[in-house]
Amino acid sequence: MSISVNDIRKAASQALVIGSSTFRPDQIRAYERAIEKETDEKSRWVLEKTLENAAISEKDVSPLCDDTGIPHPFLEIGKDARYEGSVYDLLKAVEEGVADGLRELPGRPMAVKGEGLERMAQIHGLYEDSGKLLAAPVNIRKIDGSEIRVTVLMQGGGPEIRSKTYHVFHKHKEMQLIDTAVEWANEMVAKLGCTPCVPAIGIGRTHYEASSMMIEAQKEGNFDIQSDIENYITDKINKSDVGPLGLGGDVTALGTFLKIGEARGSGVRILCVRLSCCFEPRKHTVVLR
Amino acid sequence: MNTKQLTTPISFADLENLKAGDPVEISGTIYVGRDAVIPQVLQAVREGRLKEMGIDLEGGVIFHSAVSKAGLGPTSSNKVEIEGNMAELSDAGIRLHLGKGALSDKTVQILKEKRSIFVVIPPISAYLTKKTLKREVAAFEKEGMEAFWRLEVDRYPGIVAIAHGETIF
Repeated sequence: MSISVNDIRKAASQALVIGSSTFRPDQIRAYERAIEKETDEKSRWVLEKTLENAAISEKDVSPLCDDTGIPHPFLEIGKDARYEGSVYDLLKAVEEGVADGLRELPGRPMAVKGEGLERMAQIHGLYEDSGKLLAAPVNIRKIDGSEIRVTVLMQGGGPEIRSKTYHVFHKHKEMQLIDTAVEWANEMVAKLGCTPCVPAIGIGRTHYEASSMMIEAQKEGNFDIQSDIENYITDKINKSDVGPLGLGGDVTALGTFLKIGEARGSGVRILCVRLSCCFEPRKHTVVLR
Repeated sequence: MNTKQLTTPISFADLENLKAGDPVEISGTIYVGRDAVIPQVLQAVREGRLKEMGIDLEGGVIFHSAVSKAGLGPTSSNKVEIEGNMAELSDAGIRLHLGKGALSDKTVQILKEKRSIFVVIPPISAYLTKKTLKREVAAFEKEGMEAFWRLEVDRYPGIVAIAHGETIF
């Protein structure tokens, strides 16, 4: 039996709405661990309020945060997957599903009218229709099996201000890269506001690749599964004493998601660090068979 | 936590005993504006047009947020158009700036001189939507979600981040 284009459209819509309004079980457990660890009373209150907010969002199927973010869709196509139509039809279905999801959620109506530099200056204002907000380019990946997996990741604006992609001369020492990521995170974290943060880190050969690894790190990340190096980064950031909402305390970072890509024979690597906010990664995957 | 209740209009006396780190709850009529609209509001202040626009900032709260069908929640207060205009907003009557993120030492001193405070509020949009009793555009409607909004709110929770020259940051 083949997967219909309409199934893909519905999956994209559903992934967007669920990812934007629900904390995943691993995310809830991360907060519960953080509440147990946090010794500052006010900071613990912020963590508890964040969980309370998530419970309201899930019950009401309403946004976790009013900055509902920019949709970043993934389409993973199995080797033996059978589907109706062409790849063009699949991509169009994802785009339409994203627009459906933004209208249903509802997403923040923040698509800017106009073209080019006029759009940059925002002189024609914003569309009222949430569905006018176009998704980032769809990431397409090949996977084994007969499934098609549709994931939507929603990226808020605050973390985009507290992000950096730049070269690092690694001196052929891997920790040079990791410690640079910690240094950048600690430079930016107090101004994020929406802490605890979740550093998403990508390392690649080009700026595009490093950013792509950073996005994939979020898509694949699970708070229950943290590598030694991810724990190292989290622990270092937690020593900053910025704490939830900048109030100080033990929990500045909830966890870290790191993805290391390919390397070129060179003394330079490209590092991308995004300080994702206290609700992120907002994501959900729908699996179609 | 011993939470202090603040209801608008807020007087200087209401703020006298507040310290950085104190939890507060804010009720009453508040205004909402962020990057796009704050400079326009201040232009209206300079031109003496606020009264004819039906806006009274005396003893007021300004919440750095958008307001949309997706809800509302704090944006970063350290954006240039927000933090850079806190002095003039305080002169216009704002006693309490409500947002998120660390502000500069210079701003800490400015707020001390102007006798206004900065309160951080968690970005808990679903919760805040439940605590918002009424919303209407007060001015600059063309800005959409970034217009100048007037809200009636019931016990918005926050923590005093900057008061009387002291800061939690």
